[in-house]
Amino acid sequence: MNPGGPLYQLHNVVHCYNDTRALSIDRMAIPAGSVTGLIGPNGSGKSTLLKLLAFAFNPTEGEIRFRGRMAYPFSREVRSRVTLLTQEPYLLKRNVFDNIAYGLKVRKDTDRLVERVEKALATVGLPYQEFAFRKWHELSGGETQRAAMAARLILEPEVLLLDEPTASVDVESAKLIRDASLAARELFGTTLVISSHDWHWLYEICDNLLHLFKGMIFDSGMENILSGPWEKQGDKLYAKNIGQKEKIFVSAPPEGKSYALIPENSLSIIPMDAETTTSHFDNRLEGIITRMILQKSSMEIIASIMISDLFFTVRLSGETVRSLSLAPGVRVVIRFQKDSVKWL
Amino acid sequence: MKKSVIGKAGILALMSVLLVFGSAWAGKSLMMATTTSTDNTGLLEYLEPEFEQDTGIDLKWTATGTGKALELGRRCDVDVLLVHAPPAEKAYVENGYGKDRKQIMYNDFVIIGPDADPAGIKGKSIGEALEKLKSSKSLFVSRGDDSGTNKKELLLWDSSGIKVPERAEWYLQTGQGMLATINVTEERNGYTMTDRGTYIKYRSDKGENARLSIMVEGDEILMNQYSVIAVNPDNCPDTKYELAVEFGEWMAGERAQDLIADFRLLGKKLFIPNAH
Amino acid sequence: MDFLLSGFIKALHLLLNRDPSTWTAVAATLKVSTGSILASLAAGLPLGFVLGYFDFRGRRFIRTCVDTLLALPTVFIGLVVYAVITSRGPLGEYGLLFTLSGIAIGQIILALPIVVALTASTVENMDSRLRLTLVSLGAGKKDLLLTCLWEVRYGLLAAAVTAYGRVMTEVGISMMVGGNIKWHTRTITTAIALETGKGMFANGIALGLVLITIAFAVNMSVSFLRRK
Repeated sequence: MNPGGPLYQLHNVVHCYNDTRALSIDRMAIPAGSVTGLIGPNGSGKSTLLKLLAFAFNPTEGEIRFRGRMAYPFSREVRSRVTLLTQEPYLLKRNVFDNIAYGLKVRKDTDRLVERVEKALATVGLPYQEFAFRKWHELSGGETQRAAMAARLILEPEVLLLDEPTASVDVESAKLIRDASLAARELFGTTLVISSHDWHWLYEICDNLLHLFKGMIFDSGMENILSGPWEKQGDKLYAKNIGQKEKIFVSAPPEGKSYALIPENSLSIIPMDAETTTSHFDNRLEGIITRMILQKSSMEIIASIMISDLFFTVRLSGETVRSLSLAPGVRVVIRFQKDSVKWL
Repeated sequence: MKKSVIGKAGILALMSVLLVFGSAWAGKSLMMATTTSTDNTGLLEYLEPEFEQDTGIDLKWTATGTGKALELGRRCDVDVLLVHAPPAEKAYVENGYGKDRKQIMYNDFVIIGPDADPAGIKGKSIGEALEKLKSSKSLFVSRGDDSGTNKKELLLWDSSGIKVPERAEWYLQTGQGMLATINVTEERNGYTMTDRGTYIKYRSDKGENARLSIMVEGDEILMNQYSVIAVNPDNCPDTKYELAVEFGEWMAGERAQDLIADFRLLGKKLFIPNAH
Repeated sequence: MDFLLSGFIKALHLLLNRDPSTWTAVAATLKVSTGSILASLAAGLPLGFVLGYFDFRGRRFIRTCVDTLLALPTVFIGLVVYAVITSRGPLGEYGLLFTLSGIAIGQIILALPIVVALTASTVENMDSRLRLTLVSLGAGKKDLLLTCLWEVRYGLLAAAVTAYGRVMTEVGISMMVGGNIKWHTRTITTAIALETGKGMFANGIALGLVLITIAFAVNMSVSFLRRK
């Protein structure tokens, strides 16, 4: 045992489906008791990473250590201590009570079973009387997701892995699931690893955020990734159309469909009415601040700016926000040079 | 919960297997292989209770063709045989597979054909009749299944000096039982050889509609002799030889012979006892 | 055609009057087919699960072999079983020929490929999220097997009913191995063969109707179970 030390350590982990490489991680550690967020587009390897952390299968190559020891599917060290909730959870073909009690029954831990099931259901906002004896097919999508969450919470897991837990449920269920995740951490000291499109939630609760892209991990600064197609505009000048008339200009991409990363430190932001200089920027985009959030781990403020149908994320110090009087609803301009774009 | 269900299923499976095993018979019992004619006519069912009453032996039989019955005896799967193919039986005893062959009874074979008798064989001797069938290429339907009846038919061709018309167009082999073969014969308007018992049954089933009648009968060679043979204990050490001999003696005894003489199907005698 | 109607009347007559030879044949049929189906399920469910669940070398080949065995003719099985259990055969000493146990051996060979093949394809079509769910809830390997089988229970029930129907209605094995011995190994199907051989077509039809009635009762109780 090594409290506070790394709970997971990954070394040279590679995972392939058939011959396609889905994940490739040289080194990664997740501290015990932490909340880790995974951010990345679809197909970036988030689900694969979570399944590996859940020891659902072995990686194609490399090793995964749990509490410093090698662990494998069905190892005693990880069974029923590590649990995964998937985006579209599966309920066993039996009633809700038996679904939730399943994990306790397989580990023969059935003292005060009814009481514990009742409590787990309450945590996700499902009243026992009303839901415990419904059949698996008598629940809505959100209720199914919450029941599946309760089936994990009742295990009092050391690690709770959540794969897009709120992506396909109603607002009310999403909130209950978010609250229940944090409750697990407070009550049982559960380590959380969460993948979500809900970046704000992740920024708000995570101790560290990992960006996944094409199966690889980046620490941070990967918020603003733009996908192609890129159209040739002139010599060494390409552009992506956004909205009606605006264009984002870049220099020649390696391929028409390459992904462009706009590094955080190359973005600047000013309120639209405060823009005085006419200094030349390749890209000058007008948008509106939709949301600002305090990132707990760094005490920085993360602002989302909507430009037509795209969202940009900018990391700001408290001082900048105050001096520029930034707030949600304020119209702003973000600027960056085309040569600062990195190709992925 | 599901574990106990599977456990129960397992116990149930075991129990049912034991039950099936447990039903294997105990006590004095005798296993016989016989031909379909003795079973289909109901003769054995008529004799069996009497035999058990007299001797306390439980008789069981499986009814197959004579060929398979002899094979079952050779492989020691049965204790005693009741069959009707004398030449094959004699060879069987000579080869050391059987012992104590006893003649019990006989019935006879007849050749039947359409009432119109296109080949013109009615009332002729066997040799003439077969010659006429061959020369007129009239359809003849054979069992073709190596049964006692089939063996007899082949013997008739042989003894008449005619090569068995195995591949002739007018010679049809059904590979089926006697009654089915008679039905084929009627449908195709042909001739066939049958035991008299099955013919009586056919007439009684069809009544007015029967289109086949007896053409040739009464020849010595048409006699169908039934015999009991015990399986030779030299070949099969575990065979119930003493019980088999007891059965043979009982069948040849006065009481059983009288019972056989009294056995009737549809008011007609089927078997004539001739042990003495 | 006339014997169809008289067969129907006779069927009612046989059942209502509790004709002892009919009832013995019914009992023998039920006893032997139930015994062999339970044994086939006990062996076939785990085998089918392994075949449908795991991906290993030669799996496709084994699937093809099992599918081929589905086409085994019953008389051929009967002949092979006979060769093995005849007094002079390798298992001759157990005296299984002309017993219900002997028939059961043949019927297990008949039913096992059906159970294995249908279980395997049911398990292959199992929801891919099921395994992940069970593993993440802390299921061990044994729990995984049992819960998966329970999850696809309706598919397995259908497999069992299919195999049961096949076993109950086969005639080749019962005739060849059982010998159609009255009061002992005469089943409904061998009795039908006998009655037909005797020209008693109406009796054959009657027994056939009895068999169909049993099959109907089995299917009814299964569909009742499904609804529960």
